[in-house]
Amino acid sequence: MKKITIDHLPRVEGNGGITAIIDGQAVSEVKFYINEGPRLIERLVIGRTPEEDVSLTPRICAICTVSHKLAAVRAMENALNVQVPHQTNLLRELMHMGEMIESHSLHVYYLALPDYLGFPNAIAMASKHEFEVKIALEMKNFGNHIMKVINGRFVHGENTVIGGFGKWPSREELLWIKSRAIQFMPFVYKTVNLFCTLNYPDIPEAETQYACCLPPHEKYGFWGDEILVSNGDRIFREDYRQLTNEFVVPHSYARHSRYQDKPYSVGALARVNNLGERLEGEAGRMFRKYFNDHWKKNPLYNNAAQALEILYCFERLPQLVDELLEIDNTPEIVSYQTQEGQGTGLVEAPRGLLIHHYRVEQGLVKGADIITPTAQNAEDIERYGMIAAQTLLDRGEEEKIRDRLDIIVRAYDPCISCSVHLAEVKTVEETAWENQLAEIKRQASPLFIGIGNITQGDDGIGPTLITKLKELGIKAVCSSELDTQNIKSLVNSDQPFIFVDALDAGKKPGAISLIPLLAVLYSSSLSHRLAPFIQNEFSYSQLKKSYLLGIQPRSITKQQHLSPEVSQALQRLIDQLEN
Amino acid sequence: MKGKKLKIGIYELTGCAGDALMILNCEKELPAIFQAVDIQSFLMAKSDNIDDELDVALVEGSVTTEKEVEELKDIRKRSKIVVALGLCATVGGIQARFQDPQKWQENFRQVYGETKMELPAVVSKPIDAYIKVDFYLPGCPISKEQFLNFFTRVVKGAPPESYPQPVCVSCKYKENDCLLKNGLFCLGPLTADGCGAVCPSHNLPCVGCWGPVQGGNWTSEFYLLQDKGFSREFIKKKMANFAGTKLSEFWKQFDRRD
Amino acid sequence: MKIVKLKKSNLHPFLQAASQDAELWAPVRQKNNKHSFQPIKDFATIDLNYTRTILPPRKLFLPPQFNMFQASLQGYKEDFSHVSPKVIFGVHPCDLHGLLIFDEFHRQNFEDPYYLKAKENTLIFGHSCWPDDKCFCQSTNTHLVEEGYDLFFSELDDYYLVWIGSSRGDDCLRLAPELFDESLSEEDIKGYIAWQEKRNQAFKLKINFFAMPDLMELRYHHSLWEKLGQACLSCGSCSLVCPTCNCYNVQDQPLLSQDASNIQRCWDSCMLENYSAVAGGENFREKRSQRLKLWYTHKLQAYISKYGKPACVGCGRCIATCPVDINVFTVSRALEGEEVEAFWNRLAKEVNP
Repeated sequence: MKKITIDHLPRVEGNGGITAIIDGQAVSEVKFYINEGPRLIERLVIGRTPEEDVSLTPRICAICTVSHKLAAVRAMENALNVQVPHQTNLLRELMHMGEMIESHSLHVYYLALPDYLGFPNAIAMASKHEFEVKIALEMKNFGNHIMKVINGRFVHGENTVIGGFGKWPSREELLWIKSRAIQFMPFVYKTVNLFCTLNYPDIPEAETQYACCLPPHEKYGFWGDEILVSNGDRIFREDYRQLTNEFVVPHSYARHSRYQDKPYSVGALARVNNLGERLEGEAGRMFRKYFNDHWKKNPLYNNAAQALEILYCFERLPQLVDELLEIDNTPEIVSYQTQEGQGTGLVEAPRGLLIHHYRVEQGLVKGADIITPTAQNAEDIERYGMIAAQTLLDRGEEEKIRDRLDIIVRAYDPCISCSVHLAEVKTVEETAWENQLAEIKRQASPLFIGIGNITQGDDGIGPTLITKLKELGIKAVCSSELDTQNIKSLVNSDQPFIFVDALDAGKKPGAISLIPLLAVLYSSSLSHRLAPFIQNEFSYSQLKKSYLLGIQPRSITKQQHLSPEVSQALQRLIDQLEN
Repeated sequence: MKGKKLKIGIYELTGCAGDALMILNCEKELPAIFQAVDIQSFLMAKSDNIDDELDVALVEGSVTTEKEVEELKDIRKRSKIVVALGLCATVGGIQARFQDPQKWQENFRQVYGETKMELPAVVSKPIDAYIKVDFYLPGCPISKEQFLNFFTRVVKGAPPESYPQPVCVSCKYKENDCLLKNGLFCLGPLTADGCGAVCPSHNLPCVGCWGPVQGGNWTSEFYLLQDKGFSREFIKKKMANFAGTKLSEFWKQFDRRD
Repeated sequence: MKIVKLKKSNLHPFLQAASQDAELWAPVRQKNNKHSFQPIKDFATIDLNYTRTILPPRKLFLPPQFNMFQASLQGYKEDFSHVSPKVIFGVHPCDLHGLLIFDEFHRQNFEDPYYLKAKENTLIFGHSCWPDDKCFCQSTNTHLVEEGYDLFFSELDDYYLVWIGSSRGDDCLRLAPELFDESLSEEDIKGYIAWQEKRNQAFKLKINFFAMPDLMELRYHHSLWEKLGQACLSCGSCSLVCPTCNCYNVQDQPLLSQDASNIQRCWDSCMLENYSAVAGGENFREKRSQRLKLWYTHKLQAYISKYGKPACVGCGRCIATCPVDINVFTVSRALEGEEVEAFWNRLAKEVNP
């Protein structure tokens, strides 16, 4: 068995990794994890004032600091019933565009593009593409400049407060933003054309669900009081838990999320998939020109979606500045007396939906819940990682797995610090099946399902083990005894099941592998024998908990007994399961 | 400095990655930076990273996992100069507030429940809790000017200078009216300068995000704020937000006396 | 000295004429009703109804931070980019005295080209003022001014009496002579004398500066300094806003892509811990009380012994600025043996819990 590890993912913000374990012909595990420790931010703000909270929580992440600030401020304003005037929202929108431009241009040009052009980093890329690298840096600098003008500095600015702004930018500063935005337009077009026509590999491709903020107006935008899911579901901000359903996974200090028991994706691609039809002007025209079915199922198109959003921002900036310049009296900070309340703030961070929720009592934070985009994407990153690894393995392109995992994670533009680091591929001779099996048994009593034919030598391992397990009083059944219908009648919806089968993974005879069922499903060569039993009948979480227990056969020929190696394996399995 | 280029590594432990990002935010100077030194490792910026002997290691973030303790010790072994970059590395960051292991455990359980994590965590500490640090560049995050000045001095072989002065100095340079004098809870006199007094320049009191300034008179400001009507508990909490582990001795003595 | 009359309605036209080839700076109202000298684009923003600006006008001659020169192996190149032709309008007598002291500092022993060049390029127009509860320039005898300006505007009812203090000031008047009236009536003179008498009565704050040198000596080892040291935040504000403080620090800033350094100068303060730090890590004024003593010795004693006047011009900025109320007034009271309530009570609590 082999393990591919990218322990420290390069060119992402923060320190995270992804691991894939290859067990013969199957990918037995893909884990997206964070090398960073727990900062316990949600606990740090307890007992602090709302003002302290909105200053502390943006420190979760440097690259999404403005989005965190806005989510926190909006949540507090909802909780404390503070209504800010329209002008304040306009200036907030302008500041938010600064972050989108800065983060997207850093990501697409600096972090992602070197992959597609074959360079280790952007500085190396500059030797051949000096113009793009230079102007992209200027564009990034421009986004930073907007944040500095409005929020006080590039990173962790404090000018945005509950109720408004400490200081309003001057007319000259706003006009400069407008004129500079117009100058960038030719390069912005170039960016959209470049990233919408890059040669994105078609692995991985699979449908998923997309979630994003639904803007309160009929236009594109980066915030709202509702969440829109790609299936059409709309979730009010205070009911956000219906979407996120967070749970802890042992390999990451960011909790994972699933909607209706399935992974979902957030980010620029989610926004463009859900709201692209709303894009107007040039961004709308480019959307209609480039959008196609691949965008709906290939996470690598997030790069294209970000490029499209850069265009959207640059078109919106001059309009915003004009609207802001019509204001004669800049609004004062809205003060409030409210000491109690609960509220949620939804905004779109560059990398997706960001949610802050607070409960305030006696003027102090009593409860805090912060759900970051990268944490929400973690499940889908792992799923797409597995699809890609398994598909490449099937095609005999194992050497590509590592790089592909790398670019999938990077396409999600994770900001690891808010959650998550990059790829590891491991190949192992034998999985640590004993521990894993013991763990599965400890958590729930699984149903063992034997597959195979006892007249075909080592292929009889499945039914043989089942007979022994029945003797031991362990819940087990032979495939010949059931059809697809009654697996469901034998297990509860939260109980896992374990298929036992001879599995030719090109290993030493008798080698035992415990492979997640999901991996098997993504493999065309492994899934055929199991397919009749598991076609869409089971929930994602149940499939995720279920396994294939594979034993490497020595020979599958017409004979009534198992080979010595497989018999030994049988004994090891029985010893293990008896305890 | 002539001759061989310095070998530099930029490392991120637990934090928001804001200090590494501030280096990338030196957009105009970036090509010159990459030209002036040999950047061996900088995860956020490049893929072909090598962990080898270094002249200077810049370390961002607090030490929050057992693995980071080992990584940090390894960095120290490989590097002639180690620099603490940013608030998390210099004082432990906002996450270093729970120093009492029991309290930390409790809060940890509130977030992660009973799940046994694969990457064992430790109470967050600044890097000098584990290794010798040669220079400190505080800030949440560091400022561009401060970094470039420091970096250039190192590259040119000039010893970096530190000017431990409070935010009030820059605040006066900017001709701001004193917010503390006006009754606001401003931590300017107790906070290391480097940001250029951004918040007071936006009519907002200093929150203290550069960490405690050397020689700050915490006792006097404590009583002053109490005089202005802030409660004891409120003052202590606000003073603690960005002070990390660096005030624990002070509070011990203060509480004993009071 | 020639004195002429200018109708208030003629002020802006005159300023327009006088600042044709220079940048006009004048007091402008900021947040919290505080003032600051700012470059003027629109005359309507000038606010003469002010007492003191947050920073004294010395910032216009030696800015808080500026580049002195660029040094390389080939030599050095001076940088006078902070110098440009300016007209400063609305400077009060205390600040004019501050600048006079500044002149002395920067001419004695070694001439400071950065100050002198800026001074040469600046026209200073003084303006009369009215004291508030923090002004004590009468005690320092700096409430009146006879030199240190090119023009001085005394505001009376609907006109100004304009003192011409230099030939450059005189040249200025000649740019728009039609705006001025050279004949003063008896009425005008009486009006001015009456205004002055009334102003003399308006000072509320008085400090006995004559007693200070002795008291500084007598109480040099007094426990009051320790108490002050316990209260002082050592934020440096008192000295940074003081019109006569002139200490600075010099920093080398090497340039990344050239073999050269910028040599930068920035305001320093003797209240800061590092001010008296020397090579080898020693610091001969490590304690706040020692640093306070240095500053007050300078303001209240040493300068008087040498020049016969205090290095304090009574502007009241330290009173308006120090968050813990350590200022020339409270310290002088403490030296006189009084318990100054503002910080004494707080300190008492602090020292004896």
